[in-house]
Amino acid sequence: MAVLSASTPRATTRRTILRWLTAIALPCGAVACGAAAGDRAGEDRLSREAGAADVAALDSLPWDSVVARARGTTVTWRMWRGDPSINAYVDGWLAPQLRERFGITLEAVDGQGAELVNALVVEREAGRTRGTASLLWINGETFASLRRERLLAGPFAQRLPNARFVDSASAIIARDFEQEPLGFESPWGTVQFALIYDSVRTPTPPRTVAELRAWIVAHPGRFTHDQGFAGATFLKGVMYALSGGVATFAGGFDSARYEAGRDTLFAWLAGVTPSFWRRGETYPPDVAAMHRLFANGEIDFSLSNNQNEAVTKARQGVLPPTVRALVLRDGMIANTHYVGIPASAPNAAGAMVVADFLLSPEAQLEKAKVDVWGDGTVLATHTLPPEWRASFAALDGDPRAVPRDTLTRYARPEVAPAYHERLLRDWRRRFRTGGP
Amino acid sequence: MTSARRAPLVAIAVLAGPVLVGGGYSLAASLGLVGAGSSGFTVATWLELLRAGETWRSVGWTLLTAGAGTALAFAAAVTVARGAGGSLLARQLALIPLALPHVAGALAALLLLGQSGFLSRAAHAVGWIDGPAEFPAMVYDPAGIGLTLAFAWKEFPFLLLNAIAVLDSRDRTLEETARSLGADASQTWRRVTWPLLWRGMAPAVIAVFAFLVGQYEMAVLLAPSDPLPLSMLTQERAVDPDLARRGAAHALSLLALLLTMVLVVVHERVTASDAGGHA
Repeated sequence: MAVLSASTPRATTRRTILRWLTAIALPCGAVACGAAAGDRAGEDRLSREAGAADVAALDSLPWDSVVARARGTTVTWRMWRGDPSINAYVDGWLAPQLRERFGITLEAVDGQGAELVNALVVEREAGRTRGTASLLWINGETFASLRRERLLAGPFAQRLPNARFVDSASAIIARDFEQEPLGFESPWGTVQFALIYDSVRTPTPPRTVAELRAWIVAHPGRFTHDQGFAGATFLKGVMYALSGGVATFAGGFDSARYEAGRDTLFAWLAGVTPSFWRRGETYPPDVAAMHRLFANGEIDFSLSNNQNEAVTKARQGVLPPTVRALVLRDGMIANTHYVGIPASAPNAAGAMVVADFLLSPEAQLEKAKVDVWGDGTVLATHTLPPEWRASFAALDGDPRAVPRDTLTRYARPEVAPAYHERLLRDWRRRFRTGGP
Repeated sequence: MTSARRAPLVAIAVLAGPVLVGGGYSLAASLGLVGAGSSGFTVATWLELLRAGETWRSVGWTLLTAGAGTALAFAAAVTVARGAGGSLLARQLALIPLALPHVAGALAALLLLGQSGFLSRAAHAVGWIDGPAEFPAMVYDPAGIGLTLAFAWKEFPFLLLNAIAVLDSRDRTLEETARSLGADASQTWRRVTWPLLWRGMAPAVIAVFAFLVGQYEMAVLLAPSDPLPLSMLTQERAVDPDLARRGAAHALSLLALLLTMVLVVVHERVTASDAGGHA
């Protein structure tokens, strides 16, 4: 009786609250109900969504028919539009090539990471089975979120003809933050984290995490990292180095191992952040701000998720001509970016043809040139026809670029996305806001 | 009902509609009912948010910088309107920042006030400082000096136009009466002109404050990482890799709405009681 009388008013209150909410949120109430109904329908919803249905239907067609269907269509590609070199490659090289070869109009629009997930969720809640974007630039935790929310169409990656050249023996390409892509995303490029320094200002830069620590302490106010994605990758790399390497964190998220690694990293940081720029009381918002501070001589190191950014930015005049990329011998995190097709893609055939062309030797070679983008290839270049092999070998021309074998030797894979999420959150709480 | 009488209702619906729909969606999302990462009704997001010191540091800092920026812009606008209100050249010069986008204003502030900015280089050239770190930090600084100055500089012309309009349209007989009753210039200003000016400008001042509370483009270029401005904290939650934190972004934007709504309500109450008192 006591239990009953205690629970009934609470249930009534909850109903009242819900009724109020429905009243307040009437216009979106319908949307919410639509989404909830969709959830209940489960598989039904997936098959109603255009992209997922098309990818499944195209699976039984020969590739030539896919190409034929894609002719004369438009592919809207949601991607990060924050880098002029990447935009120039996409709009100035890829788009004309696709138009000429396949009669496809490529439209690149802005949207990356969590924004992609938000946009697709809202589209689904609005009851749209056919969205706007047919192709997405994704990796890591975005891939994890999209898969968890079942927003991707597939599998499609294995059936792309150029997929046969992909370097699937590389742990960094075959697995995305330890997740099996399972054909729901197709590799596009690889990048490796690197510090950037000026060889005139810093003739003998630190080469290990231990040397970096000594350098920071000896040069107070001249080092920092941003509070965004690149900064988190730097911190994660240091965490690997201080905890016996990436193997410690491999094999899925483990909170005990994470907490031990985090505590070691935080103890290290507590020793060096007082020697950071502005004594570690504030952090630059993003990599663009890092480059600005570095170019203006306020700090002596910038950083980038792409080892070639030092060279591309120097060629553009954004960074001084004497900059170099720096790879620490403890290892630097490398990862692969992919393209995926949303479950609501209006043009799955076009998206697959674009994804395939992105893997072609010519598109991969063009993208890898440091005066274009400097994005690492995902192809196993030794499997390519000889003329392509020679062209890729000739890429290692710029003396400022880190030699490919050095990169490979010190490349370390990403671990489960949860490490990234937790570390970023805990770092913000502990170091950015100076809490306990 | 005539269409002339219906028109205001339509206008109100058009204006309030998006706020109600957006606010409603945000409320539902902050309670876990809709959106990415939602998993059924919960008040945990709100409780966690309201308990977090980070939220209140952010709210306090945002209110302070927005308040200081508004106050500076208001003071400058009133001073210039009184002093140079008649000079066409002065008005036109003062209006230059009006045409500039906020992000351009913030970039200008960065180039001027940064530790490697124009002022710092000038100080270095005359030998006052030896390196960028010696120049006082005015961008990314916990006190928000650069951001506040940029706010004030950007909002000043809008308030100046407003001040000039209010001063030009005021009823001068009140001042003449005060003078004829023996009030000196400063008494006339304090007791007659200022109350008229303030009452006329209050809605614009509140609008500027509300705008600055939600300002993002200037904050992202000039604000520190601690405390993080409310707009940046909201955006950080909105793009957090952890989908379960989307609700917090919606809750934070409702909190910002609430803060500025309080001010609007206070203003409405004060004007209502003013009107009642005079009637």
